[in-house]
Amino acid sequence: MTQLAATPDSVPASGRGFARDGLLVASALLMALTLYLVYFWAPTEQNLGVSQRIFYFHVPLGWIGMVSIIIVAIASLMHLFTGRQRWDDLAYSTAELGVIYASLILVTGAIWGKPVWGVWWTWDPKLTTTLVLWFIYVAYLMIRAYGPMGSQGRRFASVIALFGAIDAPIIYMASIWWRTAHPALNIGPAADEAESIGDSRIYITLLVSVIAFTVMYVTLLAERYALRKSESDLDELHQRMA
Amino acid sequence: MTNFTREWHSGPALRLTLLGALISTVLVVWSTLSGVGAISPAQQSSDPEANLPFLFAVFIITWAAFFVYVFYVSRRQREMQREIEALKRALEERDRQASEQD
Repeated sequence: MTQLAATPDSVPASGRGFARDGLLVASALLMALTLYLVYFWAPTEQNLGVSQRIFYFHVPLGWIGMVSIIIVAIASLMHLFTGRQRWDDLAYSTAELGVIYASLILVTGAIWGKPVWGVWWTWDPKLTTTLVLWFIYVAYLMIRAYGPMGSQGRRFASVIALFGAIDAPIIYMASIWWRTAHPALNIGPAADEAESIGDSRIYITLLVSVIAFTVMYVTLLAERYALRKSESDLDELHQRMA
Repeated sequence: MTNFTREWHSGPALRLTLLGALISTVLVVWSTLSGVGAISPAQQSSDPEANLPFLFAVFIITWAAFFVYVFYVSRRQREMQREIEALKRALEERDRQASEQD
């Protein structure tokens, strides 16, 4: 029975922490505020009309999609150096969330592209490098699902994550390095001053939206990490039982 | 059990990928049939509200994806609790039988 003693405590449903509940409440409140700002407070852009409001969803999703692959890479690097399971759990959980965000970047971008450019998709550098990011996430998860079991599979996936992280700065800088139809950078260290957002209400709404989506991302990551940790514990138990 | 079946039951990668493909297909078909895709960039400049369905589609798809994911995580948690309970019972039974033999 000593083998099982630690396991039930690690199951998320039975041991939800105050911090995770707090994150959930903060996430819900921030998201409600974001929706109010997006639909009732932010002005309608003159040229693009209401479709410009897609911007408040698309930009935060893009930001988190890029941050995710960097977190996956750092966690994978730590796993390669230390060999600790918890780093691998973090990398896997982040990659799983990352594929959702990357899918949403592509879908919301395509829906925004249609009214603005007249096409759902174009092989623009920014779009293409984002699609590459999506393939990197899927490759990581596929290696974990179909690759070698155990530590070898984890190491293979870690190497993919490390190479994949190179794509994040390329996506960010794509509109500077290449001629692109994608709008110039509005946020971050390389944001174009000339292309900066004029109306302060648009800027504030975008800022709140980025914060809200980031808090929601952290909330989801905390939940998924706890679940992944329990899955690892359960796998270990099965091995001991066998 | 084949790799495909095992992955379908235990891992989210395949389900998420197929779900993404399904949503994209539904979106394209829906947009085509409803005529949303027929709006040209020239039209939208004269009527700013003409692109409302695009905004609606982004909103629905984003939230649907998050709700599906949260549903998956919570269901997996329940499954794991059941599995842990079953393991506990099996181990208790094994310990009981071992002590009876002693």
